[in-house]
Amino acid sequence: MQTIAFTPETPPTEDRAEAFGRELDALRTRTLEDLGARDVAHIRGVIRAMRWFEAVGRGLLHFGVDPVTFVLGSASLGVAKILENMEIGHNVMHGQYDWTRDPKLDGKAYDWDTSCAAEHWRHSHNYEHHTFTNIVGKDRDVGYGLLRVTEEQPWHPAYLLQPIAALGLALGFEWGVALHDLRIDETLAGKQSFAELRERSRPFLRKAAQQLFKDYVFFPALALWNAPRVALGNLLANGIRNLWTFAIIFCGHFPEGTRMVREEDAREETRGQWYVRQLEGSANLEGGRWFHVMSGHLSHQIEHHLFPDLPASRYPELAREVRALADEYGYRYNTGGFFRQMGSVIAKIFRFALPNRAPRVAPSPAP
Amino acid sequence: MSVVSPPLAGGGLVAFARDLAYRVVAEPLEFWLHEVAPTFSLSETLAEVVAVVDETPDIRTFVLAPNARFRGHRAGQWVPVDVEIDGVRVRRCYSISSAPGGARLSITVKRVPGGRVSGFLHENARVGAILRLGEAQGDYVLPARAPARLLLVSGGSGATPNISILRDLVARGAVPDVVYLHYARTLADVPFAKELQGLAAVHPSLQVVLQLDDGPPRDLAELVPDFADRETFLCGPTGLMDLLRRRWAETGAIDHLHEERFVAPTYARVDSGKTARITLSRARRTLTVTGAESLLEGLERAGERPDHGCRIGICHTCRCRKRSGVVQDLVTGAISDAPDEEIRLCTSVARSDLDLAL
Ligand SMILES: Cc1cc2nc3c(=O)[nH]c(=O)nc-3n(C[C@H](O)[C@H](O)[C@H](O)COP(=O)(O)OP(=O)(O)OC[C@H]3O[C@@H](n4cnc5c(N)ncnc54)[C@H](O)[C@@H]3O)c2cc1C
Ligand code: FES
Repeated sequence: MQTIAFTPETPPTEDRAEAFGRELDALRTRTLEDLGARDVAHIRGVIRAMRWFEAVGRGLLHFGVDPVTFVLGSASLGVAKILENMEIGHNVMHGQYDWTRDPKLDGKAYDWDTSCAAEHWRHSHNYEHHTFTNIVGKDRDVGYGLLRVTEEQPWHPAYLLQPIAALGLALGFEWGVALHDLRIDETLAGKQSFAELRERSRPFLRKAAQQLFKDYVFFPALALWNAPRVALGNLLANGIRNLWTFAIIFCGHFPEGTRMVREEDAREETRGQWYVRQLEGSANLEGGRWFHVMSGHLSHQIEHHLFPDLPASRYPELAREVRALADEYGYRYNTGGFFRQMGSVIAKIFRFALPNRAPRVAPSPAP
Repeated sequence: MSVVSPPLAGGGLVAFARDLAYRVVAEPLEFWLHEVAPTFSLSETLAEVVAVVDETPDIRTFVLAPNARFRGHRAGQWVPVDVEIDGVRVRRCYSISSAPGGARLSITVKRVPGGRVSGFLHENARVGAILRLGEAQGDYVLPARAPARLLLVSGGSGATPNISILRDLVARGAVPDVVYLHYARTLADVPFAKELQGLAAVHPSLQVVLQLDDGPPRDLAELVPDFADRETFLCGPTGLMDLLRRRWAETGAIDHLHEERFVAPTYARVDSGKTARITLSRARRTLTVTGAESLLEGLERAGERPDHGCRIGICHTCRCRKRSGVVQDLVTGAISDAPDEEIRLCTSVARSDLDLAL
């Protein structure tokens, strides 16, 4: 086995990490100072594109009768949902555009078109996942509580079924994300009371009901005789979005070569070490401009994790500098094409379905 | 300023329907209205600049055609104006200089040296530009029963609310015994000079008095001997206002003096060692923090429980609106001193007394 989840033999040395961190802080400050009209123009342009895709998609679904407009309409609506969830919702909710003080781009007020309640997301993603990234046991995004993606997670016979579970998660990803925040697993393990689970369920049920009503009652009803077609089109559009977001997000932290961290290793971590953990725990995807936009620039997961509140459209230009810095300071910068990274994620899902073969901590190639 | 504000989380079927209506109907509708015409909106008061008039070398009037959401104003009131400067929305207040009642309104802006918004308006607000307005507000207005004897005193751009009051009286055909007194450097610096001259010619009860720096200096008692007997509206630069205010205080006529100030008081700076007083304006509590700790730490030490997550400036959970005062961001070193700026508690330290919307 080539890669090991931990690289304890090369803990980021304090000085190296601090110097690296200072460079990233400076880069962040420079970028903040440079934010301006072009960033706002970008996000408004994406919002505009999203609205047009949505209108065209709904138009084709509602008024068409043939299979061609059905497929085109669903695809167009799917693209709208992807843009809305990824480049707009995810990024706006990170507070990336709070500096504009435009209430429409307000990270605390925005609510997105998925069944995941915005207030849950802001807590579990912006705070927990981004602060405790890849700390096994603290970052609940490691395998989403469902999959085993590192050997540090103890094996259980149920994991034998994880390739099937992964497929299910991919198809219903928005529901996976929404349910994730209920922490049902913790209640089952006795770590969360039923009362707390009930409390957590409230925003979820509310948002889920809204989404289901919107996609499968309200819009179909508007289409009168075309209702079944519209409901099916919405289901398809949601499905397209689910598969895409699953793929992009799983490529962000689980490809071969990303580092998982033990809780004890991340205690009392300095700002520089935090940066290093973010860098080495994330992986990038290579592609063209529209690929990046459609991924919400999570194709630049590394830059996103270093600078979660900088406008994502800045990541490609930041990536050049981050990569140069990573090389200079000798840190691993994990990047690859979509199919390669996805392939390695799928391989992991199969590999970790089985118990560990190698000793738990083995030497890993020095970064 | 009413913008479509996403409904707050809450329970109940009504809230459920309202949230849904907001996301499924209001938000997209707002987008498409805006695609059709830049001032169309159901939620924002948008106004198009339809004329720009030079009043003096550095004072310019912008005539605005607001959409139907504008609910009008009373003479003497001001309106919040939002502009977007290099992607950032910035708000300033401007007194409305036109009389109430028309389909249009105007603001009259003096270009302040180095001023962000006044400079931006002078340079960019051409005919066709769109401004965002709030609701007209302020109590610098005539009492319900118009006083028999009135004095309108102004200096610089402070003429704006006063000219609105005068124009309103003229429009209503009810010009009482009014003295309009304006302080300026030269005659060329007097806004609305021609109009004032014309009005004085047709309204014998209106007297326009100018005190110019390039003319002989005259005392208030010479300019308006019965000033203390007049209901007075005073608006101008801080120095002038402070000076004149003292005269009213001396004569015991301070109750008849109405004042409008354009410039906020300045804040005493707090260094890292000192303490600053924090007013939590929603909770109606005050407490002190030191300039050496983050606001989040300071608030927590004082027993407050503000929302927070990462505590290192990345998650934006601790974001809150600073209504006034100066803070410094510990990560970037940036200073925030304008009112109504959003700050992060976990990375900000107080550099003056603060008012936070908590
Ligand atoms: C209720 C109210 C009504 C107002 N009505 C008007 C009006 O009718 N016409 C008008 O022109 N302005 C009016 N103002 C002032 C206006 O809101 C702005 O403060 C002003 O235009 C300067 O903003 P700025 O962004 O250009 O300057 P900033 O970038 O905020 O300030 C730049 C510098 O100029 C100083 N400064 C700020 N304001 C003034 C000022 N008024 N005079 C001298 N120096 C200043 C600041 O201290 C700073 O050093 C009003 C203010 C209030 C509170
Ligand atoms: S607590 Fe996360 S940004 Fe302040």
